[in-house]
Amino acid sequence: MKRKSLLILSLFFATVWLSGCATFETEKKAVPYRLTQQGTVIWEDELEFVPPPPDWKLLRVETGENDINFGFVRPDPGDFPSLTTFAYDEEPFGCSTRFEDREKEFFKRFLFNAILHFQILEKKKVQVVGGEGLAVTVEGKDPVKKEKVRGKVIFAKRGDRVVGFYITQWRSLDGTYDPAAFDIFDKFVSSFKFLKKSFYETL
Amino acid sequence: MEGHQRNLYLYERFNARVLGVSRDDVITLKYWAKGLDLTFPLLSNVTSFLGVSVDAQPEGKPIFSRRTIIIDKKGVIRYVRDGSPVFKDILLFLKKLNQEGGKP
Repeated sequence: MKRKSLLILSLFFATVWLSGCATFETEKKAVPYRLTQQGTVIWEDELEFVPPPPDWKLLRVETGENDINFGFVRPDPGDFPSLTTFAYDEEPFGCSTRFEDREKEFFKRFLFNAILHFQILEKKKVQVVGGEGLAVTVEGKDPVKKEKVRGKVIFAKRGDRVVGFYITQWRSLDGTYDPAAFDIFDKFVSSFKFLKKSFYETL
Repeated sequence: MEGHQRNLYLYERFNARVLGVSRDDVITLKYWAKGLDLTFPLLSNVTSFLGVSVDAQPEGKPIFSRRTIIIDKKGVIRYVRDGSPVFKDILLFLKKLNQEGGKP
């Protein structure tokens, strides 16, 4: 007879709900971050990528776990909310391992707090971290706050699991987006390499 | 909960099953599970006896504390952790428990 262990998880609805919302916070302690002579960054001896220019600040996503989640932020010229942020996330919202399903799950919760309705501007298959991925460009508008955001999310695979790269650029409703930031993001993503297997691949 | 859903294939590998237990009613849990695309069972325990049995019911409060518990096939509680689940910790523990499985 197969051995069955049983995992019982007690949960509290509100707490669980809140725990799903990752928040950005500036790094308070030293990060495992080193530069190579080639100008790339090695992160925790696990990832390698071309960093953005120095006017982008490093962010860590606080998840309460040791999964690798980090990004970069740059305040843009103009009034609030002019800001661009991009990130790498080992555990993007959702659960599916098929990109098309994951995309639907992801956008149920992406920028959930902003309460925006997203319009998909473009969706296409891309090559990323040595395999096939899915890139989705979206725009959301908030006519009440008079804000808008353009985002691009790239789903990729690391082993069996889906990882994500995403950029958001906030502007006032009559503001103009800066495509150069998206180019920097694309360069970051296209340079991205996994230097070793993930924790989940080693189990 | 999403983390558990993502890890279902690994739990399967380690012969483990996951259950969620909450004091929320069945309808609330159904909507919540649908919203998060959860496929594993969520138990509604409005009367709280399950929470009381694993000491996850704070006195005088209408909710359970967050607690992760791993019970082996003999019904012995082998792992308890309060707060948000630490998935890597859970997976390593289940892997170890599964490896012990050949020697009950």
